[in-house]
Amino acid sequence: MTVRALVIDDSRAMRRIVTGILEGLGYETRQAGHGQEALDVLHEGWTPDLCTIDWNMPVMDGLQFVNAVRANPAWRAVTLMMVTSESEHGQIVRALAAGAHEYVIKPFTADAIRDKLALLGLLPQEVAL
Amino acid sequence: MTAPRDTGLRRRASDRPPAVVDLLDGDTLLQIAEQAWLALVGEDEVLVPLPAPLPADTSSSWVEIVGPWTGAVVLTCGRDTAAELTRALLGEHAPAVLEAEDVDDALGELANVVGGNVKAVLPGPSVLGLPEVGATPPAGSRADTRRVAVLWRGQPLTVSVQSPLHTERENEVPL
Repeated sequence: MTVRALVIDDSRAMRRIVTGILEGLGYETRQAGHGQEALDVLHEGWTPDLCTIDWNMPVMDGLQFVNAVRANPAWRAVTLMMVTSESEHGQIVRALAAGAHEYVIKPFTADAIRDKLALLGLLPQEVAL
Repeated sequence: MTAPRDTGLRRRASDRPPAVVDLLDGDTLLQIAEQAWLALVGEDEVLVPLPAPLPADTSSSWVEIVGPWTGAVVLTCGRDTAAELTRALLGEHAPAVLEAEDVDDALGELANVVGGNVKAVLPGPSVLGLPEVGATPPAGSRADTRRVAVLWRGQPLTVSVQSPLHTERENEVPL
């Protein structure tokens, strides 16, 4: 079964890095440059299993995106993972309280992403074995 | 005898905003930059803490921090170094021909990651701005700047945590 991820970051370089890691794990991916663009993808009907979300972005930031996704019951099954340089404890608490499932602080390694996905039960089966 | 009433009319020394040199030491700043390099640029990419003059043609990226301490985290290197950094950061995903936008984006993201981790060790709560890229901004005031100068692949690069970019330019330290 294909596992889908939507990579949301205003940095093209960071989107490429995260996308490369996820595709290496067997994910089918799409990218968005900010929260509103990501919401547009969801409204299109492309529902991912996982969203990786930067915090500081123009137009709509990561926290606003988390709130918007959590406000729509149709997207309840989407796992939300913040991937951000915001590393203050208070910010982590805010994101988790808003409905994010996991929090990865930049800079990160590919292994850190993989470990978080394993914890979430989101490693594609052939990778998890 | 009652204590004199504090009318709030006179500023006390303790009311002054803290200077970054009192909040962040050079070793911590270097460690933050090294961690960003190892994770984003490559596992074997080391920063050697040796100051060297920057070339005339530099490029900078920066993020602003607004909070109990307000200022900017500025990353500066030569334009050729910025392009080499972009290739290293993108690795196998680097396009054959780098566009200026690729270089700005990569340099901005490095400033963002370093800035986010600098913010975490400063008193909070603080807000991190979006990364900006452009000509090297004026240096901050000497009393409110923590700066490390390093070599990456033999090329000079500086990371500066400095007072707000729009402030007066007196007592500057050269970037």
